[in-house]
Amino acid sequence: MTHTLHRRGTPENLEQDYVIFSMTAKGFNERGSRGALEEFLRILAKYDVANVGDMKTGNKFIVDKEIIFQNIQDTSIVHAVFTDRDQVTQALKELKEADLGVSVIVSGIVEHVHEACREAGLDRHTVEYSVGIRGNLALLPEDEILEVTTMCGHGMVSQHLVRQMIIDIKKGRRDEREAAELLATPCVCGVFNPVRAQSLLRELAEIWCLDEV
Amino acid sequence: MQIDAVKCIGCGQCRPYCTMDAIDFTRSAKGNKVHCTVDEKECVDCGICYRSGVCPTDALFQPLHDWPRSVRGTFSNPLAEHKETRVPGRGTEEMKTNDITGRYKEGFAGMAAEMGRPGTGARMRDVEKVFRALAQLGVEFEINNPLTGLLLNKQTGEMNPEVLNEKVLSAIIEMLIPLDKVDAVLETMEKVATEIDTVFSVDLVSKVALDDTVPTAEIMKKNGKWFSYNGKTNVGLGHLRVKGGIGQ
Repeated sequence: MTHTLHRRGTPENLEQDYVIFSMTAKGFNERGSRGALEEFLRILAKYDVANVGDMKTGNKFIVDKEIIFQNIQDTSIVHAVFTDRDQVTQALKELKEADLGVSVIVSGIVEHVHEACREAGLDRHTVEYSVGIRGNLALLPEDEILEVTTMCGHGMVSQHLVRQMIIDIKKGRRDEREAAELLATPCVCGVFNPVRAQSLLRELAEIWCLDEV
Repeated sequence: MQIDAVKCIGCGQCRPYCTMDAIDFTRSAKGNKVHCTVDEKECVDCGICYRSGVCPTDALFQPLHDWPRSVRGTFSNPLAEHKETRVPGRGTEEMKTNDITGRYKEGFAGMAAEMGRPGTGARMRDVEKVFRALAQLGVEFEINNPLTGLLLNKQTGEMNPEVLNEKVLSAIIEMLIPLDKVDAVLETMEKVATEIDTVFSVDLVSKVALDDTVPTAEIMKKNGKWFSYNGKTNVGLGHLRVKGGIGQ
């Protein structure tokens, strides 16, 4: 149902994790919407965003941002990842002013987004909650790993790649930032937050013991 | 996904990228690593290892699979756009465009079981178990969801038997229900969850009420059920006259 809903974490580390994204509705307002979607993404990209992407083309860590803008299509879903609540509010104000007509969705702590909407003068339309995980929970990796992997809701970031990055950091093969940005590459939509991943990896590299397989 | 054993030098760089941990080494009689191989029974054809570009000898390749194996790639690779919905990814537009489509109206909730998420993958036989359990409640499965297209019978939740052994990274059972069925659907999900060999993530959607409350959140609180502080909000900026768009 969604690729940004089930981001796991603590209220503290989720405070630096908001995704603002947009699409248009098939059969309603999709035709000729590519320009509006491009304008949407260009507005957001002016902020200090941690990632930008369109599932059709890729994210800013695998494709030049300008190419992402140019390749936007009517059927695109375009995303930008924010790490600061105030910037989310400012961006929403700017999007309201731009009146593009495209649907705008914000993933993040619901109460924070509600507050941002109030400050931007927006009435929320629909809210979706994550209601947790059911089934054979023994199949899941540790919660700390899930905090990283669930930043790509499509499951493109393997738990094993996260473990490899922790080993690489511990062995000095790459620093936390390089590791976090590498983890952002498989998530083609650009919803993975490498800034948050960097701080999560730093913590894990300090306290976890892992060895190469 | 497959690996050309002639080209592969057994460096193992592709292994951590595999979402299903389905890449292993073949070993010589002395136990040395020879080359990598993909366990095709577990591989979901997501293509991550290939797209990562880490293979130094271009040994990874994705064969074109016939039905029913083809289901794996279309449900696991988000770059594959389902021809029915024209939405890349696993689901539909759901609440993302609810300010335009009015799909979730007052008095109704959207619920979903995101099978195989996070990160475990799911066999369609487990998906069918959940479908069958929910069908008994008379829920309305989302017709635009590509997974619903694999149902032989929407009233019983029976799926096309040809796909039952296929494994996918994720597949989403989406449904529309009256608000007063939220608790029953959740209880049914919890019961059937004990019968499957995978996991699923649960979604709960509703239109914001006129008093600015979220009806589904109120129901969950009233029933003492947990839900995350994290979620997704459609901020209501969509309308029919998109800037530069062509009226439809």
